[in-house]
Formats: sequence, structure tokens, C-alpha cells
Amino acid sequence: MNLVKALTVVLALLGAPLFVVISALALLAFSGAGIDLSVVVIEMSRLADTPMLLSLPLFIFAGTLLSESGAPQRMLRLSRLLLGWLPGGLAVVALVVCAVFTAFTGASGVTIFALGGLLHPALVKDRYPEQFSLGLITTSGSLGLLFPPSLPLILYGVVAEARIDQLFLAGILPGLLMLALLGGYSMLRSPARREGRQTSSLSEIKAGLREALWELPLPLLILGGIYGGFLVVGEAAAVAACWVLVVEVFVYRDVPFSKLPAIMAQSMMLFGGILVVLAASMASTNYLIDQEVPVRLFETISQYISSKYTFLLVLNLFLLVVGCMLDIFSALVLVVPLILPIAQAYEVDLVHLGIIFLTNLQIGYCTPPVGLNLFLASYKFETPVTTLYRATLPFLLILLLTLGIITYFPALSLWLAG
Amino acid sequence: MPNALVSLVRTVHRLLLHLETFWLALLLVAMIGLACFQIGLRLLLDSGFLWLDPLLRYLVIWAGLFGALAATGRGKHICLDLVSYLLPARYQPLLRCGLHLFSAVVCGVLAWAAVLFVQSEMEFGGRTLLGLGSWVWNLAFPVAFGLISLRFLAAAMGEVTGFFTEEPGARSRPANGGTP
Repeated sequence: MNLVKALTVVLALLGAPLFVVISALALLAFSGAGIDLSVVVIEMSRLADTPMLLSLPLFIFAGTLLSESGAPQRMLRLSRLLLGWLPGGLAVVALVVCAVFTAFTGASGVTIFALGGLLHPALVKDRYPEQFSLGLITTSGSLGLLFPPSLPLILYGVVAEARIDQLFLAGILPGLLMLALLGGYSMLRSPARREGRQTSSLSEIKAGLREALWELPLPLLILGGIYGGFLVVGEAAAVAACWVLVVEVFVYRDVPFSKLPAIMAQSMMLFGGILVVLAASMASTNYLIDQEVPVRLFETISQYISSKYTFLLVLNLFLLVVGCMLDIFSALVLVVPLILPIAQAYEVDLVHLGIIFLTNLQIGYCTPPVGLNLFLASYKFETPVTTLYRATLPFLLILLLTLGIITYFPALSLWLAG
Repeated sequence: MPNALVSLVRTVHRLLLHLETFWLALLLVAMIGLACFQIGLRLLLDSGFLWLDPLLRYLVIWAGLFGALAATGRGKHICLDLVSYLLPARYQPLLRCGLHLFSAVVCGVLAWAAVLFVQSEMEFGGRTLLGLGSWVWNLAFPVAFGLISLRFLAAAMGEVTGFFTEEPGARSRPANGGTP
């Protein structure tokens, strides 16, 4: 039996789909314990008791449709008009736009592909150093994961059974801190201007606002709906999906009606990929908890680590490694159930833990040697990945500094969430 | 295989792919429509239907399982894939074939486990949503896992013969979390 399990793990490393691997391990574990195999599917079917799950497919669809439309270009134009006057204006614009875009699309690499192609030439043209521009865009590919309605935040809420509305609020200040520090660094590195500051006239700003008129209310609609007490998270996702559908297909007509079924199917594939990993992990997690694995893990760890702060430091190191090996959705689904009971034993707040998790996984995306963003950017900009290691280094250090602040000042996450 | 048969199989395959796309789109539209309908009822008329919430939750499961089926056909499942690059290119199709076969077996067992689950639901589950037995709503599990298993099997065959793939290897390459 153990040999079969080991073989399954080898197949996972060779590229077998993760849900297949977890399901295989769960099936082996249950049959080894003499339990009926149908229990695996019974555990999976328990997902139907999770009302928050509705928000995932709907936000995924809204994000996919937005990235297929002209929304990135409109957002970029408007942000340049509004923020272009700042020193380091374009770099700050890049950070803000990427963050907002990633919050809506999740961090599946869409940001680097949809916005990188627009931002990179613009940054280089504005005489930002090539290395700096590449580093900025590579890092920004996963910036914004902490802002609502980010999919990984929702998934953490589903897996950890934490309140998603609180998680949304908790991510705002840490996310802003990250933006502020990265923005500050960008301002320092901004090239000396050639011809004074770039300012926009009132009429230009008006035109930009008019152009993005239908997309601007979207964040307000979602957040206002949830925190005004009108909508639960799943319903807010439905309103967002409906709004984006009407605006991009019928108002802006960026996406022809004939392309819509394919885009819908594509977003359901993305959701399906996540759902089966989640379903499989329902079964395996149940088995692990049944076997008291988290309890035993905690007993072992507590022999060596007594303080909460040392635990958090070790947790950060562990999650950084996880973050650069696993994609964010599978990392959340696999690691959260194991860590959660241990973290709670060290009296780490559930919501704070979520923000720590996501910050780590976000940083993992651009951590050498195997962070996903590095490879996406290397592919997109036809640059050797080793060049990107160097280019992202200063940004990575800033993100690590933010991680330290987020970890050791829980109030930053918990103040807004109450 | 004779040419006529090959083209017939390809036409049917294409039709099935279209059908799959529209089925997924339909499930998504139903989720958006019903959820917005529910909000409208509550905010405007201060009323609602009790069956809407559980129906939406089942639709999510159906959309996810059939989305996973579609992802299987296009190599869009989340994979770790940390060491396969160490294998020489010559052996890559062989490796993929093996992985597909392994996945087909596991999903086959899952489908069988799901059949057992649905059978016990038929016996003991009782009537739930919209007067239908709870087993009806859980049918998506055996159907989707069964079809996913078949699709992995077809992908394994395609790896060997290059027959089911439009371009060789295009549908069987593992992708990382739906990355473009």
C-alpha cells in the first residue's frame, strides 16, 4: 500500500493532475482503513452545503470577460490621466492598475499577459530602466490578491470557514501598504523628466472618465452591496457577473455575442479545475483529521517552538517555499486545512492567518527559482529567467518587508475587519 | 480506419465539443439569472423561494464538475509538474500516456464510488429539492467522473496515435492552473 502511495506522489511530481493525485491518495487511505469507497464522493458532495462557493464561478467569469474586453486599456488610460502627474507617475499607474486588475481576475497570470504588453513599452518609452520595468511588471502580476473581490481570498474563506466579508476588509490596509512601499520605491527610481511634469487637462480627464463610465461603478457595486447589507458575497458576484456581461457585450460591444459561449465555457473550465481539487481535498482532509494528523503535527512542532512569533516566522518560511512550488489555489486547498488547527493552537487569528497566507503565496509567485510569474514574464517578454531574478530582487525585498509588517502587526489586518 | 469513418468520428467529436460549450454556458447563465432573480425578489418584493438557494448550490457543483470535464479535454488541470522536464523529449509522449492512463483509472474508481453513493441515496436519500430525490442532484458525480475517465483514456490513446488531437499533443499538455 505504501509503495502505491509513493508511486502516486512520484506521478504527481511528473505532472499528473493534482485532483487525481489527491483523490487516489484518499481512495487508498479509505480502502486501507476498510472504509467504503463511496465515502470519498460523500465528502465531495458536502461542497453543496457551502453557499459561499457560488461566488467563485461568477467572479471567475466576470474576471475572464473583463480581461477579454477593452477594460484593461480603458483603466490604464484613465489612471494615467489621473496619476500621470506624480513623480514616477507611470510606475505608480502600473502598480495601481495591475493591483485592481488582479483583484478582479485572480492571479492566474492574466495580468502579466493583458497589461504587461501595454505597460512594458510605455515604461521603457518613459525612460524607465529596462531591468526596473521588467521587475515591476513581473511583481505586479500577483499584486492585488489582498484586495476584494480576489478569488484566493474567497477560496481561503471557503476552506477555512472564515467570514469572507471580514477577509475582504482585512486585506485592504496590508494591500495599500504594499502598494505604498512599492510606489515609494518606484518614485525614487523614476527617471528625471525631460520636459516638466505630465499634466492632464480637465477635458481630457472628463473624456477618460466618460470612457470608463460603465466600469467605474463595479467595485462600488460589489463592496457597497456587501457592506451596505444588501447582498451576501455570492449575490454580489452574481451582480458583478451580470453587470460585466451587459456592459462589455451590449454597451461597449468589446466582446461579440458569438464569442460569449466560448468565454463562458473557458471560465467554467478554470472553475472546474479548482472545484475538483477542492472536492478531492474535502475527502483527504477528512481522512487526515480523522487520523489526527494536525494534532500530531502540532505536538511535534510545539516541542521546538513555544512562542507564537517564532511559529509565525517558521510559517512564513514554509509558505514562501509552498508559494513558489504550488499554484495559489492548490496551495490554499492543500495547506490551509493542515495549518489551521496548528495556527489556532498558537492563538493566531483566522482572518489574520488568511492575510499572512495570501501575502506569502503572492510573494512565492515571484520568488526564484520557480515562481510562476518569473516564467510567465520570461515567456511574454522573451527574456531569460535569470535576468528576471535580478530584476525582481528589489521588489521582492520590499514585499518581504511588507510580509514582516503584516505578520507581526496583526492590527493592520484586523483593524478594519473589527 | 477508412477515411469516411474518420471524418464521421471527427464531425461527431466536434459536435460534442460544441454541445459541451453550450451546456457549460447554460449552467453559468442559469446561475447568474437565478441569483439575480433571487436578489430582485428580495429587494423589490421582499419575498423569495426557499428552493432557489439549494438549487444554486447544486448548479455550482454541476458547473464545476462539467467544467472539470472540459478542462480534461484541453489539458487545463492544475498540476505540480516539477520534474517531468528532466525526461528527454523523446519519452515525453510516453510519460503523458502513462499519466493519462493513471488518471483514467483513478477517475474510473471515483465514478464507481459515485455510483455506490448515488445508489445509497436512491435507497435512503428521500425527496429533497423540487420534489426530486436527492440522488438526481448528485448524478453529476458519476456522470462527470465517468466521462472524465473516458476522456483521459482517449487522451492516452491520442498520445499514442495522434488521432483524437487536432494538433499533436496540443490537448494533452499539462497546463498550470489555466495559465494562458
